Amino acid sequence: MKKLLALVLALVMAFSVVACASQPANDSNEPKKMTIALRGGAYAEAIKSSLPAFEEANNVKIDVLELSEDDLHSSIALDATNAKGTYDFVMADASWMAEFANAGVLADLGALGYKFDEDIIPATTAACVFDGKTYLAPYYGNVTVLMYNKALVEAAGYKAEDIKSLDDMMKICKAAQEAGKKGFIYRGDTNNNLTVDFLSILASFGGWVVDENQKPTVNTPEFKEAVEFYLDLIATGDAEKKDDLIASVEGGAGTMGIGWPGWYKAEFTGSDYTAITGVAHDGGKAYNANVYGTWLIGVPANAPDKELSVKLLSHLMDKDVQKATIAVGGVPCRYSCLNDPEVLKDHPQFAVVCKALEGGVYRPIMKEWPQMYDIIGSELGNIINGIKTVDAGLADAQKALEDLIK
Amino acid sequence: MKKNNPNRYVSGAVQTKRFGYGMITPTLIVMAIMTAYPLIFTVYYSFTDYNLLSVLKNPAKFIGFDNYVKLLSTPYFRNAIWNTVRFTLLAVVFEMLVGFIMAEFVHRLKRAQKIMRTLLLIPYLLPTVTVALIWRMMLSPNYGIINQFLEALHIPVYNWFSDIKTAFGMLVVIDIWQSAPFVFLLLYAALQAVPADQYEAAKLDGANYFQVLFYVTIPNIKDSLALCALLRTIDSFRLFDKVNLLTGGGPANSTSTITQYLYNTGIKVFDFGYASAGAIVMTLIVLILASIYIKRAMN
Repeated sequence: MKKLLALVLALVMAFSVVACASQPANDSNEPKKMTIALRGGAYAEAIKSSLPAFEEANNVKIDVLELSEDDLHSSIALDATNAKGTYDFVMADASWMAEFANAGVLADLGALGYKFDEDIIPATTAACVFDGKTYLAPYYGNVTVLMYNKALVEAAGYKAEDIKSLDDMMKICKAAQEAGKKGFIYRGDTNNNLTVDFLSILASFGGWVVDENQKPTVNTPEFKEAVEFYLDLIATGDAEKKDDLIASVEGGAGTMGIGWPGWYKAEFTGSDYTAITGVAHDGGKAYNANVYGTWLIGVPANAPDKELSVKLLSHLMDKDVQKATIAVGGVPCRYSCLNDPEVLKDHPQFAVVCKALEGGVYRPIMKEWPQMYDIIGSELGNIINGIKTVDAGLADAQKALEDLIK
Repeated sequence: MKKNNPNRYVSGAVQTKRFGYGMITPTLIVMAIMTAYPLIFTVYYSFTDYNLLSVLKNPAKFIGFDNYVKLLSTPYFRNAIWNTVRFTLLAVVFEMLVGFIMAEFVHRLKRAQKIMRTLLLIPYLLPTVTVALIWRMMLSPNYGIINQFLEALHIPVYNWFSDIKTAFGMLVVIDIWQSAPFVFLLLYAALQAVPADQYEAAKLDGANYFQVLFYVTIPNIKDSLALCALLRTIDSFRLFDKVNLLTGGGPANSTSTITQYLYNTGIKVFDFGYASAGAIVMTLIVLILASIYIKRAMN
């Protein structure tokens, strides 16, 4: 009996092995699989809406990973250490360009046959090129804008087009504060958010965090003036997280704050956004002050099938495909999309975005940027919370940055 | 007639020993792979300038104690150590206190013990992400129920996670809310094992509540108290998820912890050598703290 049982089990095992082995390894009609890593939110939604057409045309099945900014950054870097990568296509922030290009994380799109067309806003491509090679393409036109509550701005006697300087912003916020509302809402929760929130103010005063030789310029008169102005401005309001900031401005609890077009939803009725003029004081010089946060797309250097990846990139960069993403919250970096009269009917704020994208300013494209914003944010936080004076905070930030960038 | 052969017993003892070694060998192998190997490599990396992206082009170099010198001279890291120690002390003390009060309360209940036990355990069963989201919504300056309640009572409201006066305290409160039930669970089990006749004897001797507490209850559960304190100390010291989800280390680094600092340097900047040095410093601090309890427990 035992022998019979053993024989039956042996036959079953042998049959299973043969059955498994006889299955075709890969059916030729089976769709090819691609894995893409995207920044979650409106940015990923825009891309996802364009994928079905590509999948159908190329017999491809695309797995989409939607990640937070930090997770996306570390996932791309970790995958770069593999000889053959997991990701066929990635989304990246402009500020990662230096470290990724230096380490050879991304493929040269030019060598793969991709070229920018003239319809793309030229300024948005600057961060995509490193040492003469094109590693990324500008996909989502994120740039800092001034989000404001329409009723509170009107109550202060202003219209959006009348906000011509930081002084105007201050007057509106003070008027709102006197009326019992919060004035300027800033993002003081993390060092990165605080730094980016402040950069537009800094740029409007003609200051910046590094000079043309990438040496720190934190302890300068312009920087100090900008910090002192920022302290007065944020004293009219409150520090809030992104979701609370949006809710405050949309709901009318807060008057204004620095935001991104990607935050804005079509159903918003209480708020709108406008470009930051880059003028500190009435009648003063106008600087580029809208800070780019454009989301770029590219192909990892170790992507399994780079030709297919660049085909996907070209599909996503197509102007008609990009125009179709507007319905799901996309903000293309293209003149034909942002200036289209049909589009402007439903999205009048795109005129503002286009203007901001034409004259924006990039965060320093340096591999040390994550440490730099940590230092600047820490010291700004110390100043704002009264732990250090403006002079002491800026001197400490300058020293820490100089130690970092030796 | 068979004679007793002493060698037979010796070989039996050896066999028992061998069997014992055989039984613990798989565990030792797993521990070596899962614990010793990463630990040795972390120590090794801490003496190098290993950066995840830089090593794609240039191999890591041995730099001696540079990472440790840089780490300990960085004010942001020292601040993170201070915040972590402060958090651990406050959280452990209050969690022990609240957990003990909960255990005493449920232990003395005449009815509905099971329901209370289950209800009190719920916060501990929730994932930290859920806990963070619940508290973030409740404490929102716009739609949070707590601010609305305070406003209705004309009590000043705060922007809890963005105000330097309240952010750190709120993290402690949330941790107590979530982790005190763990202390409750262990102490409740310990309280049930205290012999009832000791309470009866104390009662007959006319001992009041505090005398019973200090002369009967606490001496009987002191091992469980020490274990709870040890486990909570180690866990509190590793605080990361709540900070990352609720404050990101701000405002003004007032809630930045060692793990948050290591995350920023290791995961965001990929500076694995430097972050490894930080991890070793953190491990040493935890070992020192834990050794006090372990030594006491072994005595």
